[in-house]
Amino acid sequence: MRSSFKHRLAIALGATLLGFTTFAPATLAADVTDIGYVDQAALSNIPSFISANRQLAAYKSGLDRQFVQAMHGVHDQNTQARIAQEFQNKLAVRQRDLFGPIFARAQVAIASVASSKNLSVVMDKRIVIYGGQDVTSNVADLLNGPGDPIPPVNTPPPSSVGFVDQTQIDAIPKLKAANDDFQKFQADEQAAAQTKLKAAKNDADRQAVLKDYQSALADKQKQEIQPLVDQTRDAIAGVAKKRGLLLVIDRSNLIYGGTDITSDVTSALK
Amino acid sequence: MSRARSNSAAPAFVAGFAFLALSACAGHSPDAAPDATPQAADGRVGYVRMEELVKVHPLYSQLAHLDEDMQALQLQSVGPNVAHNGADIAAAERSLQRELDAAADRTKKILGQKQAEYAQREQAAIAAAIGATSGTGPSGAGIAGNVARDARAQQLDAERLAQANFDAYRRQVAEQSNAAAASLQESLAERATRTLRAKAEELTKSEADFALQQVTEDAPERLSLRTKLSNLALDDDSRSDVKKQLDALDAKEADALGAMKNRDAQTLAVLREKLHASTQAELTTAVAALRKRTIAKIDARGLATREQLVAQLGVPQTGAGVAIPNGIAPNMRAKLQALHASYQKQFDADAEQTIARFQKTRADLTDRFRKIAGVDADAQASANRQLGVLAKQRGDLYSEMVAQIGREVKMVAQKRGIDVVVSDVVAPAGGVDLTADAEKDIESLHE
Repeated sequence: MRSSFKHRLAIALGATLLGFTTFAPATLAADVTDIGYVDQAALSNIPSFISANRQLAAYKSGLDRQFVQAMHGVHDQNTQARIAQEFQNKLAVRQRDLFGPIFARAQVAIASVASSKNLSVVMDKRIVIYGGQDVTSNVADLLNGPGDPIPPVNTPPPSSVGFVDQTQIDAIPKLKAANDDFQKFQADEQAAAQTKLKAAKNDADRQAVLKDYQSALADKQKQEIQPLVDQTRDAIAGVAKKRGLLLVIDRSNLIYGGTDITSDVTSALK
Repeated sequence: MSRARSNSAAPAFVAGFAFLALSACAGHSPDAAPDATPQAADGRVGYVRMEELVKVHPLYSQLAHLDEDMQALQLQSVGPNVAHNGADIAAAERSLQRELDAAADRTKKILGQKQAEYAQREQAAIAAAIGATSGTGPSGAGIAGNVARDARAQQLDAERLAQANFDAYRRQVAEQSNAAAASLQESLAERATRTLRAKAEELTKSEADFALQQVTEDAPERLSLRTKLSNLALDDDSRSDVKKQLDALDAKEADALGAMKNRDAQTLAVLREKLHASTQAELTTAVAALRKRTIAKIDARGLATREQLVAQLGVPQTGAGVAIPNGIAPNMRAKLQALHASYQKQFDADAEQTIARFQKTRADLTDRFRKIAGVDADAQASANRQLGVLAKQRGDLYSEMVAQIGREVKMVAQKRGIDVVVSDVVAPAGGVDLTADAEKDIESLHE
């Protein structure tokens, strides 16, 4: 559920952003565990990624023009959302076509490095604040080297780090219903706020409208969403405890290995 | 939601690598994980709730302020009827253009109707006037109708002839005007020359008088000196001295006369310039007056031509046209012309009001054009630009905050013997929660 919020907000704020910009928290390795991490921003600088990025940017540029044309004269928010989704899907398909083979090759390289270093899990550098093994350069060397990386013989060892696929959890009927309800509420509140903003005579009035809008959303979230968020977190924590995991992360932050507890969590929530 | 905010600067695409990577390694990844609890790796694992740490960071208020600004901008810029995209503007402009065209058509139609209406009323009035006069003769309507059928052809012939005559007159008047201007220029130039010549003669005479006066004044001295020179007993030195005095006397007279001639030459030069300027100004004024008179003559002739046509054909001014028959009694013609003038005046006043209404409509629509095409587009573009700037500021600020938090967390972890610290965990499990300790350290940054 939270992942979907993030997705929507990211689209709203960064419709023209493209690429693999990532935050790079300062991390100093104390390499004593089986947890590794990869800096995806650094990997995106290898030649094959750069080439694919250029192609995707060119494709997106054309798609943007089509998108603008498609949105001409469309005022209905549902239709706007549908059109936006269609174009997002098109972009995603193209992205998979371009990056899929590269990701697959990179994945083999990561698995190979993880196996050679006895890592049970490799995460995205963004979430590793301290410690862990940085295997970015090892992976880059394999990707830049001649020939394809050789896949490891063994599967990853059991990991004390679990992960869940938030999109699957969001799809649970009661969570989806609550999410949809919240989205509708937000759309209604937004429309009402916009009407009030048009009638506002000064900055103070506009600030008041904005404050009311934010307050309404916060109340609704607290009332309907937060209980489900808490429930989900408790379910994940319960499963993690049962499986003896040290921590659980979102699948989007995991690159390799880890223990998938998504199905256990969805079962617990149903 | 707060997590979404904390990561909002990272595009959704960032997840692509991990997502696809996971897809690729799904076979490895333990949906089929062993039930056996995996052993914790060497060392301890901790985690922090980054969103909470960000909230206690000294710069959080600035981050929240940026978020609010962005939300306000989005709320104000994405709504319907607040701003318009290019296609909306084009559609609105087309709609306004249609309104403007319709208003123009309505105005044209109204004017046409009024023209026909006034012409009809005038024709009826003329017919009534003629009918009242002719008594038992042909009906007024009949006379007006018959004349109207032939009036146009007569009118065209008369107009062509009148135009030809008028053109010839215009050419003639223009030629006369040019000739008059040339003559005037010559006359003024001659007058200036005469004035200058007279002044020069006057000055020359003065110079001659002055020279004579000097000679007369110096005559006794000159005679005395010449007498001395005629004395044969005069020694050489004295003779030389007398000669010098005589030369000096001549030089004094020559210098005085030369100075006077220089002054006179200057006077003549100034006079020449003055005469040139005054002559030019006079010529310009005179030519302008001449041209004005010429134009007035041509206009008068044009008016006379039109009046002549009216007198000949009774040419109407109210459009549809009611021809005043030729060969009608002078008093009746005057009456009909008065009638025509009256209707023409009424029509002009009415038409003026109609046109004024159209012009107001056009001005209103133009204003709406400007608002739609200019103001809203500017507002939209401005909001987008501002949003982009705010997003960049927010991203930079958030990165700075996370980096500083990372340094604080590292120190906390080292103190507590934690080997790995992760943020953004989905749920607490067996790891060590370092959030509270990190919060204390970060809050100390405020002090």
